[in-house]
Amino acid sequence: MKQDIHKLIAEHEFKQAELNTRRIFLRNAGLSLGSLALGSIFPACTSNSAKSSAEQLFTNLNPLSPKASHFAAKAKSVIYIHMAGAPSQFELFDLKPELNKLDGQECPPSLLDGKKFAFIRGVPKMLGSQAVFEKVGQSGALVSDNLPHFKKVVDEVSFIRGIHTDQFNHAPAQIMMHTGNPIIGRPSLGSWATYGLGSENQNLPGFVVLTSGGVNPDAGKQVWGSGFLPSVYQGVQCRSKGDPVLFLGNPECTSREMRKSAIDAINKVNSLTYDEFHDPETLSRISQYEMAFRMQTAVPEVMNINDEPEYIHEMYGTKAGEESFANNILLARKLVEKGVRFVQLYDWGWDSHGVGKSTALKIGFINKCRDTDKPVAALLLDLKQRGLLDETLVIWGGEFGRTPMQENRNGVEQVYTGRDHHPGAFTMWMAGGGIRKGGDYGETDEIGYDALDGGTSIHDLHATILNQLGFDHEKFTHEFQGRPFRLTDVSGSVIKEIIT
Amino acid sequence: MQLKNYLHTVLVLLALFLAGIFLSQCTSPFNQIDYNTEVKPILNKNCISCHGGVKQSNGFSLLSEETALAKTDSGQPAIIPGNASESEFIRRLSLEDQEERMPLDSPPLSKHEIKILKKWVNQGAKWGLHWSYQTIKDNEGNLQLGSTSTVINNNSKDGKIDQFVAKKLKEISLQPNDQASKSELLRRVSLDLIGMPASTELQEQFLSGRINYEGLVDKLLVSPAFGEKWAALWLDIARYADTKGFEKDGIRNIWRYRDYVINAFNKDKPYDKFLIEQLAGDMLDSPTEEQLIATGFHRNTPTNDEGGTDNEEYRVKAVIDRVSTTWEGIMGTTMACVQCHGHPYDPFPHDNFYKSFAFFNNSRDADTSMDYPNLQFLDSLNQSKLDELKTWIASVDSQEKASELEYFVKTKQPVIYSIEVDKMINADLYDTKYLGFRKNGSARLPGLDLGMGSVLLMKTQTFIESGKLSFRLDSLNGAEFASIDLKDTKRRYELLEIPFGNLEGIRDVYMYYTNPKMKDSNSRGAQVDWFYFTEKFPGQDHTEFSEKRKLFDDLVLKNHENTLIMVENPDALRRKTHVFDRGNWLTLNEEVTSGVPEILTPLEKENATRLDFAYWIADEENPLTARTFVNRVWEQMFGRGIVLTVEDLGSQGQMPSHPDLLDYLAGKWMYEQEWSIKSLIRSIAVSETYRQSSKANSNSLEKDPYNIYLSRGPRVRLTAEQVRDQSLQISGLLSEKMHGPPVMPYQPEGIWKSPYSNDKWILSEGENRHRRAIYTMIKRTAVYPSFETFDMAQRQVCVSRRIRTNTPLQALVTLNDPAFLEASESLARRMLSDGGEKLEDQINYGYYLGMSKNIQAEKLEILVQLQRNTLNRLQEQSIEEDEINLLAMTTVANAIINLDEMLNN
Repeated sequence: MKQDIHKLIAEHEFKQAELNTRRIFLRNAGLSLGSLALGSIFPACTSNSAKSSAEQLFTNLNPLSPKASHFAAKAKSVIYIHMAGAPSQFELFDLKPELNKLDGQECPPSLLDGKKFAFIRGVPKMLGSQAVFEKVGQSGALVSDNLPHFKKVVDEVSFIRGIHTDQFNHAPAQIMMHTGNPIIGRPSLGSWATYGLGSENQNLPGFVVLTSGGVNPDAGKQVWGSGFLPSVYQGVQCRSKGDPVLFLGNPECTSREMRKSAIDAINKVNSLTYDEFHDPETLSRISQYEMAFRMQTAVPEVMNINDEPEYIHEMYGTKAGEESFANNILLARKLVEKGVRFVQLYDWGWDSHGVGKSTALKIGFINKCRDTDKPVAALLLDLKQRGLLDETLVIWGGEFGRTPMQENRNGVEQVYTGRDHHPGAFTMWMAGGGIRKGGDYGETDEIGYDALDGGTSIHDLHATILNQLGFDHEKFTHEFQGRPFRLTDVSGSVIKEIIT
Repeated sequence: MQLKNYLHTVLVLLALFLAGIFLSQCTSPFNQIDYNTEVKPILNKNCISCHGGVKQSNGFSLLSEETALAKTDSGQPAIIPGNASESEFIRRLSLEDQEERMPLDSPPLSKHEIKILKKWVNQGAKWGLHWSYQTIKDNEGNLQLGSTSTVINNNSKDGKIDQFVAKKLKEISLQPNDQASKSELLRRVSLDLIGMPASTELQEQFLSGRINYEGLVDKLLVSPAFGEKWAALWLDIARYADTKGFEKDGIRNIWRYRDYVINAFNKDKPYDKFLIEQLAGDMLDSPTEEQLIATGFHRNTPTNDEGGTDNEEYRVKAVIDRVSTTWEGIMGTTMACVQCHGHPYDPFPHDNFYKSFAFFNNSRDADTSMDYPNLQFLDSLNQSKLDELKTWIASVDSQEKASELEYFVKTKQPVIYSIEVDKMINADLYDTKYLGFRKNGSARLPGLDLGMGSVLLMKTQTFIESGKLSFRLDSLNGAEFASIDLKDTKRRYELLEIPFGNLEGIRDVYMYYTNPKMKDSNSRGAQVDWFYFTEKFPGQDHTEFSEKRKLFDDLVLKNHENTLIMVENPDALRRKTHVFDRGNWLTLNEEVTSGVPEILTPLEKENATRLDFAYWIADEENPLTARTFVNRVWEQMFGRGIVLTVEDLGSQGQMPSHPDLLDYLAGKWMYEQEWSIKSLIRSIAVSETYRQSSKANSNSLEKDPYNIYLSRGPRVRLTAEQVRDQSLQISGLLSEKMHGPPVMPYQPEGIWKSPYSNDKWILSEGENRHRRAIYTMIKRTAVYPSFETFDMAQRQVCVSRRIRTNTPLQALVTLNDPAFLEASESLARRMLSDGGEKLEDQINYGYYLGMSKNIQAEKLEILVQLQRNTLNRLQEQSIEEDEINLLAMTTVANAIINLDEMLNN
């Protein structure tokens, strides 16, 4: 059976090669057969201009097959940890002694004039850091006591301070952070990565999404959507409850053998159909059904953390069977180990407005830190001990930062302490995948309100991430609506200071 | 050296000779160079990114004739018409110096390209209007402009389509393919016209020869299922969804718009009327309920309820989206980039976007959480109350007054929303939505036209007894001209009436709330939803006055079922439109008035309205409207548009494969078929081209691998909707119920997980579980999983073209999604009970239901084996005997649903 199909594919390849020879000849003769050269379904990725016909066919049949980047990549895969709701930089990485001095004083009008806030009204009070900081590691970075485990791995990361965005509401800011544009409908970072590079493991999705915190991020599934790229590049949400991938499990009474015999039957009939119509999509369908069958074992295998040794559970703080951030972090490691290109994590619950206990900087926020600190540190250590950190880019951050003022929702003082959304300056970190160890880039003013020297834009972050994956962000484009689109739109530059 | 040059020349000549042969259809070295087909592609590919609408390096831009011939920064024009050797534009193309040679930092143009450009300049550098901006002409001499004769339901094929296709096929020496078999054709046309296989009765009628192919097409066209299929195309353009789109992504009631679209297709509403109703139905004379519902088209924009959002920002975003959607969805023009700068490739300057924006900038919607304005649908009891009220108002006042108040009950317009106030002190927009006053709270209604009425109605609730609201002119300390004592409404909204007297002019009105009983200065005393300027309620002197007034209040305040509509601002509330600097809504440049791009047919009217724009779009003279829709219909039926890029007929879109065919169809559709969509579809469906077999032979695969030349019939994967509908239809589960609120068929747990949302996916009961796909609830941030997997649009923005993919996740859906398993089991029951005695017959029956033909012996054998294998395996498990048969047949039925033939048309 399998041989038959491969024979068919080989035949098709041959025909395609003939066709391409003719097409190349036509093109070289100075003709533009634009639409002919465009490919049937998948518009060719511009990063792969010279493709052999066999490669072209393989790509047509399997758009997730591994592809070459523009230049040698530092990172093979990405783990992006997004703390949805936007964690406060002042209680984690950004100690501002001047701000602490101003604590409790009314905010000067110069900080308020012409500014828009989501919830702050009238004149709020300045709010000093609600955490204790310590100089740690060889780099001497200041890290708050909210992150005791992170302190131990701080030398692995590069901080980027003074990042700014132009969105101060969660959903659009998350869409901005993951697609480079607050307008819905652009491909997400993970989609671009899998579009450009394909996947190393054909039995697993190339772009996996894991969520924790009880709900999806504010922007919903569109933050892992493929926008105008084919939907095969959208993120696949893997879940801790029910089927790890939707509809992965066979129905009751259908054993693995029965599933195999059904897929074999379907594929046999389909290969007869191919003989009739010679539609290459039929061949593609045959291989997709084979892949689905392989996924049925490969995905539950990788999603199962029961078999991890006890010391790993200890290290990550994981408990099998739970729906937790820690479990997702461990899964992320397992997934990149298996060759998944892009693992996107969302953890919800970081919106520390101080309107209730769960959003209070001294209560809910500390709990969130406690739940996430140990697994994140474990991830870096574990990747390192497996020799994977060098080729895995780990990114940590939110969708914007928080104000150095205390929130006074509706112009009224609050019972709990919290901060409003702040797009002007916030901190993220990256590690592994060719990122400088112990790096610290960018600066904010003495109260952490604005970035100094222009700061870092989201496009700069994206340019840097793509660079680590081997792409020149200015040349990595997709033709849509008559123009080439890129993740970084019309700006962005690689942050050279944080890469090796 | 000389030899090398010689060889080079020979090679170039040879290449040119060969090129000449290939290009003989469009280019001949001795003929006039054609700007559109020969010059523009070279300019767009090589020059325009630096010398176009975005950048004009050295002051040189090739965007239009005017800019291209103008003086550049050097003080001289770069192009001297008629004189290539004097033209810097030509000189720069073949310089040795890399710093000087154009295009900079790119490979040089080919000799052939340079030759074309040289020749073009020597011939006078004549500009041409891009094909899609040219008015559709009577190109065959057989169209009479404005002719009233129609060919609807004319059984004779006109053969023109096939002539155009044959002409093109000749170019690559191919013949049209054989006609498809009856069953192949039956399946194809059924899926294309009604979105699923035809009913068994209709299949039999056709296969037995009782009706011919044309008869079949006509029966499909009158089936109500027709509208349910074709609506999907339009709902993608209209970005229709049942939720609002951000964060909690709450449910929005706008399904009546979806039903409007289904009905419009079924009633064959002429396309021009269809467009006008959707773009500006509210501005037609005495619009009908249907025409108001139609304006939901542009109310499908997302609204953002997230706490802390700037409502004006999201109102502006919605308007921007309306501009882009109108241009892309209806006129195949990508205007989105003109939001930030002049179009890089097409002749649309920056301000063109805002001239379009001005048409849409005066509707009453403003990103309110209630999605105002809405059209209310009163139940029969309330409707009879409203009728009674109208009669009474007409008797004590006038018919006009009765109509005015009826309109207000139905639309609650025009009101000023609480989000439009500013200068709040001890007051705030609670939840960023409702104006709440705390103790000694104040707020301003800016720039109010006091001529709008003498009475202010306020939808208000209070949280505490007593309290007073005082109204002051021009400043917080200004003279109080009205006030009202508030009573405790117990947190329920009431309508307060405040007499404003006969004030005139545009003034600021300040409100000041005091309440001596309030101790806590941090809590709300009163809250306002909206303000309405009107006249005193009629019939003040009548005994029934207070009773009728209460009736009016009740009808206004009650939450009736409703749908989102467009309502235009009254003059007093009109907004001005400015160009946004680089697309940023906070940085305004010069003011603009409404208008259309100069390059297109003029809209000769000052202060043209949204309705004028709609008429302009739906006019036969508009070169884009008909071409765009005809191309979309073609794409629906052939899987590929005559212009591949259905979203962009502009110069960066693909050139049409059959330009004459597109124009012929568009012209005929407008002038002869009078915008009848059914007639258009019928013309295509009965053509020989459409009826070709989709079997490819090696010759056609080689010469026409992507079927651009239409050398064979279409073979296209089913859409997400078709995959569902087909499985329900052949399994006998399908409910034929039409219309109504969206339904929730089976969906796995944990798909809806929006923050701050209590909305739940609650499995629909009874037949609602098996409705057609089009009725499934669409939540924007969590689209129904099987649809998403089969490439359905997310419906956040206008989607012109779904990109079809082929993935393992699709296999998992049709193999394992309980919705498909249920269909498989039901199909298996049908096979067992109606398929005859023999296993072979039963399997064949299941296949026949979908494919309208008997299964080939070889395929049948494979499925028989599958049944036997499964049966054997099941017998190893401890399952009851009668269930084993059903389970084994379910496996076969599921395999049938998964066949490549079944997933393609």
